[in-house]
Amino acid sequence: MTPRRPKIVGFCCERHGLDSPVAAAKSGITYDASVRIIDVPCTGRVDGLHILKALEDGADAVFVLGCLEKNCYYDTGSIEGRKRVEHVRSMLEEAGIEKERVEMFNTSSTMTWRFPEIVSKMCDVVNRLGPLGKEGDEQ
Amino acid sequence: MKGQIQVIGCKSCTEIPQLIDMNKLIEKASTMDLVVSTVLVGAVCDSKSIKQVVQEAKEREVDRVVVLACPKKVVNPALLAAFKKAKVNEFLVEYVNIRDEVVLPHMDDPPRAQAKAETMMVAALQKVMGLKPLETLKEQMRTRNVVVLGGGASGRKAAETAAKTGAHTIIIEKGTKSFKAPGVLMQNSVLLKSKGYGGNFVLTIRAGEKVEELQCAAIVVATGGGWTRLNGPLAKACKSALPLYELDEQIRAGKKMEGPIVIVDSPDPAGKSMQVRDYAWDESLELAIELKRRSTDSDITIVFQEMRAFGLSELRYKEAAELGVRFIRYDATGIPKIDPKEPNVVSVKDLAQGETIRLRFGTLAFASIPANDDNEGIADTLRIPMSPDGGIRHGSIQRGPVSTPRPGIFICGSALFPKTKDIAEEEGMVAGELAGEFASKGIIEYGGSVAEVTQEKCSACLTCIRTCPYEAPFIGIANKAEIRTQACQGCGMCVGICPSKAIELRNCTDDIIMQETKTMLRGDF
Ligand code: SF4
Ligand code: SF4
Repeated sequence: MTPRRPKIVGFCCERHGLDSPVAAAKSGITYDASVRIIDVPCTGRVDGLHILKALEDGADAVFVLGCLEKNCYYDTGSIEGRKRVEHVRSMLEEAGIEKERVEMFNTSSTMTWRFPEIVSKMCDVVNRLGPLGKEGDEQ
Repeated sequence: MKGQIQVIGCKSCTEIPQLIDMNKLIEKASTMDLVVSTVLVGAVCDSKSIKQVVQEAKEREVDRVVVLACPKKVVNPALLAAFKKAKVNEFLVEYVNIRDEVVLPHMDDPPRAQAKAETMMVAALQKVMGLKPLETLKEQMRTRNVVVLGGGASGRKAAETAAKTGAHTIIIEKGTKSFKAPGVLMQNSVLLKSKGYGGNFVLTIRAGEKVEELQCAAIVVATGGGWTRLNGPLAKACKSALPLYELDEQIRAGKKMEGPIVIVDSPDPAGKSMQVRDYAWDESLELAIELKRRSTDSDITIVFQEMRAFGLSELRYKEAAELGVRFIRYDATGIPKIDPKEPNVVSVKDLAQGETIRLRFGTLAFASIPANDDNEGIADTLRIPMSPDGGIRHGSIQRGPVSTPRPGIFICGSALFPKTKDIAEEEGMVAGELAGEFASKGIIEYGGSVAEVTQEKCSACLTCIRTCPYEAPFIGIANKAEIRTQACQGCGMCVGICPSKAIELRNCTDDIIMQETKTMLRGDF
């Protein structure tokens, strides 16, 4: 039986966050299809709840991708986003789940390599840590 | 709303037909609940295709649309306009970026790409059913005033260009500078307070003894650099020392400066008491060359730690040296010092010769450009961010070249970071034009996907007010938070942070986000 493919959720802001995969696509870089892009207006919109729910619904890892902190369309949005992610990470740690599964990244619309790099980084995390939780009941 | 969905597939966006089977995807769409129309077109941006899909949408009484194509920003806006005419609410059109998120990045794995595209389509169909039709509203701008803060090089240019767009300009000048302004020039004036949002700002200005309120549609910050502030031990020891820009002005005005002339990089070479943001090396070299040209026996020395002239200005370094300008380089082991008992001699260890030399001077100038002290107050009043080195910070580059994060406030010249007069003027022109254009729109369009407070849930904790970068939330008469829709940018930061979960972002609710995530995770790819 083939091992279960990783499931990765990426909450990307509608500004630089979503421009990033577009830039990668334009420059012809390919990456693993496991990533599920969910668009939000700004990473400041992301709530800890969304991340936790994604993990509960079967994601093995979640990342949040916003603008560079000094170049955020909504000024402090990606800093807010980072705070939320940090909060979730500390919650996960308390619950005994590897906090590496949740990560915040920043990018800009011209960084063509960034999105593929993030996807492969998160895939590596899942490959190293294995799928999250319920291996038994899924198979 | 009934929920009659049209799904549009664009062949040219998903241009590699052997990779993604668009026919199969559209077929699948037609079997889904509530989908009443499916169209596969050659290119959705093509006006013929737009006609075709909108015609079909009308016949089938479509009220929601899913477009499988490229990013929303890229798709021809005519499509949205046509749907609007056909009475499909623009907020009920959902774009799925099949091209950049599936076709191109996964071309090496077609079966997974197909499954992913299908899942994205299903998620979009669910999402579009959760959306509510929204309205955009319009508010009249009360004036066409453009207020320019600062009457320096960039400010004047900004006022001139803004006036050309038809705006009424008002320059707020701190000092007594007098010049021909295109509109009103208020001397001895400072900005005290600001209220409002892009299009309808209300500023409180102190002009001389009077305090008055001023309405304006747009603001240009052109406060310049802080040439007048000279701290640091060298400036203290030599009272007659002046910033390079003043020296430059005086020389150009024909004043004869007493020689020898020494230009030191900073009045605080040890970097203890002041933040130097930049050095006017280009101008120093230019000035030295100019003086040498006027009289070959002028005695000019430039003392520096590190010199960076830009681009072709680098050649001036050579030119100046050939003309006989003396350059002395120092480092931390022997910084320039002035003994207050001997205020016309600077001693410094010359790195090239390794020994300390004494330079007697008639005129001392500094090439450093400190930040404007007023920046902090202005940034605070207008609630725009500062950069760590004391300047005012740009907004995201996606908002435009001379923008701040707040719509309607533009910034130019050395208020951002020090720059030469030509560049400051260029920036002033751009800022003036953008501000003028902003003001000449005459209306503020707002609404759409903005935040909304459910007042019963609000505990008036003020968190949203502190978090919003645009001052949209405020505590209203009911002692509960309210959102000033005109100012809301729809970022959703307040939504995620409200401890009582009292705020909702229209068409971007928790349910919509979590449902989309769930559907995407269910897909097997
Ligand atoms: S953050 Fe929420 S609870 Fe607090 S004032 Fe704003 S709306 Fe009310
Ligand atoms: S959505 Fe953003 S702009 Fe609107 S009120 Fe909330 S934080 Fe402010």
